[in-house]
Amino acid sequence: MIKPTCEDTFLIKKRDLKNNYFSMVFKTYSRVDQCQPGHFVHVHIPSTDIFFRRAMSVAGVLVESGEIEVIFKVVGRGTRLLSMLHPGDRVNFLGPLGVSFKLPKKSEKAIMVAGGVGFPPLFYMATEMVRRGYDPKNIEFFYGGRSVSDILERTRIKKLGVTFHPVTEDGSYGEKGLVTGPVERYIKSGDKAKMRLYGCGPDGMLRAVNELGLRLGVPGQLSLEAPMPCGVGICLGCVVPLVKGGYARVCQDGPVFEIGEVAL
Amino acid sequence: MTPNLKVSIAGVEFATPIMTASGCCGYGEELAAIFPMSKLGALVTKSVTLNPREGHPPPRTAETASGMLNAIGLANVGVDRFITEKIPFLEKQKTKVIVNVAGSKLEEYVEVCSRLNDIERVDMIELNISCPNVNEGGMEFGSDPAMTEKSVAAVKKVFSRPLIAKLSPNVTSITTIAQAAQQGGADAFSVINSLVGTSIDTDTWRPRLTNNKGGLTGPAIKPVALAMVNAVYEKCSLPIIGIGGIATAEDVVEFMLCGATAVQVGTSLFVRPDAPVIIADGLKEYLRKKKLSSACELIGKVRKY
Ligand SMILES: Cc1cc2nc3c(=O)[nH]c(=O)nc-3n(C[C@H](O)[C@H](O)[C@H](O)COP(=O)(O)OP(=O)(O)OC[C@H]3O[C@@H](n4cnc5c(N)ncnc54)[C@H](O)[C@@H]3O)c2cc1C
Ligand SMILES: Cc1cc2nc3c(=O)[nH]c(=O)nc-3n(C[C@H](O)[C@H](O)[C@H](O)COP(=O)(O)O)c2cc1C
Ligand code: FES
Repeated sequence: MIKPTCEDTFLIKKRDLKNNYFSMVFKTYSRVDQCQPGHFVHVHIPSTDIFFRRAMSVAGVLVESGEIEVIFKVVGRGTRLLSMLHPGDRVNFLGPLGVSFKLPKKSEKAIMVAGGVGFPPLFYMATEMVRRGYDPKNIEFFYGGRSVSDILERTRIKKLGVTFHPVTEDGSYGEKGLVTGPVERYIKSGDKAKMRLYGCGPDGMLRAVNELGLRLGVPGQLSLEAPMPCGVGICLGCVVPLVKGGYARVCQDGPVFEIGEVAL
Repeated sequence: MTPNLKVSIAGVEFATPIMTASGCCGYGEELAAIFPMSKLGALVTKSVTLNPREGHPPPRTAETASGMLNAIGLANVGVDRFITEKIPFLEKQKTKVIVNVAGSKLEEYVEVCSRLNDIERVDMIELNISCPNVNEGGMEFGSDPAMTEKSVAAVKKVFSRPLIAKLSPNVTSITTIAQAAQQGGADAFSVINSLVGTSIDTDTWRPRLTNNKGGLTGPAIKPVALAMVNAVYEKCSLPIIGIGGIATAEDVVEFMLCGATAVQVGTSLFVRPDAPVIIADGLKEYLRKKKLSSACELIGKVRKY
């Protein structure tokens, strides 16, 4: 088990990715070497406007310099406060937390399906796989959004050398439609026995990816979201129902679950 | 000289007056990854019931101004699994262990407590007669003086070590209930459990909790808790464990001045899981500044007008 810490970090780089998306790099986080794709940090933004921390997936790390990146969308008070930080400002990180993705075998195809802000953990996973010497050609990066402005960091994705499949609902970038359409076509056209499916995104998309995996017989994992008071497994506030009955804590038993495990 | 943080309640000694509150620290495993349990006065477990409980469907929690609402629904592994799966871990921890017990019928409380009587690692039991999140038992027990006395007395017969009655703030007179618990043979009080509250989503017009209502906790409830601790302190003779929104050493000082011998940190653990350590250090610093040699010197010393 990884040992999470509670630590102050400070913002060193901030980029406005437009359309309410931001990338932020924080420094002095001593646990970057323990971060794995799928892990998240629980961010405390000092303010009287919000009470809980806010969960953010690790989008990337630079181990040597102790830097950690998060990419997020402003959806409410917490993320708005976060977006208003300036370089030099401090926030408290609790982490790394959660269960990370199980990487595929080097001979297997990793089919990643990202939707909206489900992008950061999968981008980190693709980056990490390339760093570890996986053939980028074995990474199929499907990325869906409503419009071109929802498809973040296109240059960085392309730079990884992975096969990039952008899909937008309005057809303003990449293929037109829902991301799961091209994913289904891709799976059916290849050797299913050598594929692993990974998904992170909005509920509807996760349900569809889960269903695809089960129907077409491709194993894999999904990263879930839930409102998280504590992030460390002690409040039982973040639970999701399991197919076998009972509940699991998204923060501690997840956020990464096997396809078919959670009753989505 | 380093100030002494030791306190004792009903003959049980605690290294510091800072405990974790039931339902806010699981059974200790997760927190032990963050700080050594020896830094705590005591760990108070999640409520244990006779049978395992899944709890309410999500969403079970909602953020509020300076606190939260929860309707977890007493989700827990049940007493049997608690004994086989959780006690072995607790055996290894260098802290006092207080097991919080809940039930929907008096017989259930008695059964759970009698099984725990055989487990030496259980230093004390805290009787949750005040949970707002279950339909039967829970708060119903703790809002009726006769039932309170009867349940405390029944449990006292089967559990030989000290018993703490955890009181509900959702009553007309908390001191009447405290006196009934004292009459029944309680050895100490925990004051307070959460306040009943709710919150509505203005988009969907639905409550933010599937249980429709829940328990309000966190710094938002601290003033209520302080007043109740002081009221119980003035009317009863048993030691009090103060609970409600404690986040800093100053909060602990306030509770002790109002009459608490020890305190429990609940919701604040969700924001700072290492809060008990920071608070204990802060308390030492406070005592040093005030030139006090022991935390005990604070108990009940509020200078009222
Ligand atoms: C493990 C995990 C990893 C995450 N990683 C990222 C990430 O990398 N980038 C990113 O942009 N977001 C991520 N999120 C979602 C992010 O935590 C929420 O968007 C954030 O908590 C909302 O806070 P807020 O104060 O801005 O909104 P609030 O005021 O709390 O809520 C605004 C709206 O967002 C909804 N909401 C609140 N919390 C969540 C949540 N956890 N998930 C989904 N919707 C929520 C509310 O229901 C409401 O409609 C992650 C969530 C989890 C659980
Ligand atoms: C998520 C959550 C779960 C709780 N579960 C229990 C419980 O199982 N048994 C109990 O006696 N009290 C329970 N409580 C109440 C706390 O122990 C405590 O009395 C209350 O939260 C007030 O303290 P605080 O303001 O420091 O949180 C719970 C509180 C929270 C927030
Ligand atoms: S957020 Fe508290 S248990 Fe998951």
